[in-house]
Amino acid sequence: MSVIKSKKKKRFIGNLLRGSFLWILSFAMLMPLLWMVTAALKSNSSIMSIPPEWIPKEFHWENFPEGLAAVSFFPRFLNTVFISIMCVIGQVISCSFVGYALARIRFPGRKIWFYLFVGSMMLPSMVGLIPVYRLWTALKALNTYWPLIVPAFLGSPFYTFLIRQFIMGIPRSFDDAAKIDGAGHVRILFQVIMPIIKPAVITIVIMQFQASWNEYLSPLIYLIDGKKWTLSLAVASYSTLYAVEWNKFMATDLVYMLPTLILFFVAQKYFMQGLGSLTTSGLK
Amino acid sequence: MNNKKTKVVQKRRFWQRDGFIGYMFILPSLIGFAIFVAYPLVVAIFYSFTEWDGLSPAKFVGLKNYIYMFTTDPSFPKAIKATFLYVLMTVPLTLVFGLLLAVMLNHNMFSVKMLRTLFYLPVVLPSVAALVLWKFVYDPSYGLINQLLAIFGIKGPKWLQSEDTALVSMAIVSIWGVGSMMIIFLSGMQSISSELYEAADVDGANSIQKFFRITIPMMSPVLFLQLITGLITAFQAFNPPQLLTNYSGVGGGPNYATYLLAYSIYDKAFNGFKYGYAMAQVMVLFVIIMIFTAIVFRFSNAYVYYESND
Repeated sequence: MSVIKSKKKKRFIGNLLRGSFLWILSFAMLMPLLWMVTAALKSNSSIMSIPPEWIPKEFHWENFPEGLAAVSFFPRFLNTVFISIMCVIGQVISCSFVGYALARIRFPGRKIWFYLFVGSMMLPSMVGLIPVYRLWTALKALNTYWPLIVPAFLGSPFYTFLIRQFIMGIPRSFDDAAKIDGAGHVRILFQVIMPIIKPAVITIVIMQFQASWNEYLSPLIYLIDGKKWTLSLAVASYSTLYAVEWNKFMATDLVYMLPTLILFFVAQKYFMQGLGSLTTSGLK
Repeated sequence: MNNKKTKVVQKRRFWQRDGFIGYMFILPSLIGFAIFVAYPLVVAIFYSFTEWDGLSPAKFVGLKNYIYMFTTDPSFPKAIKATFLYVLMTVPLTLVFGLLLAVMLNHNMFSVKMLRTLFYLPVVLPSVAALVLWKFVYDPSYGLINQLLAIFGIKGPKWLQSEDTALVSMAIVSIWGVGSMMIIFLSGMQSISSELYEAADVDGANSIQKFFRITIPMMSPVLFLQLITGLITAFQAFNPPQLLTNYSGVGGGPNYATYLLAYSIYDKAFNGFKYGYAMAQVMVLFVIIMIFTAIVFRFSNAYVYYESND
């Protein structure tokens, strides 16, 4: 009896120590973010004072409208939303079709193409940077959204793989029933498979939205005209200004982060599960 | 007549056959593969032997780009050094910290879900937003870190603005994103059968033995995959040098301290309009990544344990 009790006590103390250590560590990790939030509400002089005023005495909410105006936030927000939504649509359509075909349709070369698509994930993306840039230049597509959106409609190997793995897990008897009713592949995909693979599709929607929202290198090389800029470009260029006012900058940066943060807290389950199960399932 | 009709019904037209439909379905990926994989792989080597300024047609110049890179260009050795140091600092540390965090967070304890969320939070932030924030955090006079150090009377270093500390500062930011490793390791650990640990308990194994004898071998495929992807990503790191050490539009840090190869490629191509030369550097980067991947694969047979299905 006492052995169990002491064991329980030991475990309790262990958890307490571990828990406190992790809480302190996570607080240290999140310090920059907390600092950003307070700085976004301070006056610039109180950020620059020594010693600093850690918690703002008075809230300067006007930092937000002023900072957002400085990066012409709203039109660039719309640009970014447009690109992100188009990319999400593109990925969902193309990856569903390709993933379905690789999992269910028997066509010659299916295995080879599957390995080629998966293998292409290993190719360093830098290799494509300049040849693809030259291609778009030749097509006179610089300064348009085509180079940012079209790749999404050609399907990312990673998401395709995710869908394919998911469909492989669905018993074939599901589509056989539809086949007897005379359904073709398109109908089976939309009426039978799609409802089942919804979690995978939602994972892709979230991941791709985030990826487009965060994308920096492609907008940087393809979008020259400031009117077409995405938020990532606007925020990055705001930060390099010599005389940037920190409080307004922090406010802008915070607003730029906000959609992905909200998405994360709303759809946390998909972030935490989807990613993990994917990498482990791929190995078996 | 009747006979013929049944034959038509049975024999489907070619566009109704699986062979054709299959290729129609994978068409997007086929085109994508052609444009983003096959085409660059074929032309990349050719372009590295040319000079192209983006306006006039490309001119074949033989080995000139490579000779210039290895003999004359003062930035190239620095780029190579910075890249290797960056990879050596970030990849092992994120793997180890990610694994340790995952082990600590794989317990049933109070607030564990909340902690997982908090450690994962930096990964969710847009890379641009986080990097530009860190630039201010590292500011020598008013940044968070030096203000904190000032409380203890320590005068902090100049971080990103000094040649000695710039690369280390950049690596710290990368390690800040350890949550992405943690979450993958966590889900890997959760798929390890608890019977193994129970059996070890019966044998009286302590937690360190269990970690090295059960957790590590069972996790080795995941560790291996993360090592490979970690290497490929770190070798191509572009955003950190461009955003953290960017002053008045020029990245790469003081005296090329953070002039990573991927940034060098961008800089040569899109700031210097030397696309051919940049492509030659891409080829070097590509070869380096291939060599590292090959080495990791070579050694994987000895260390990676795959659970058999039967």
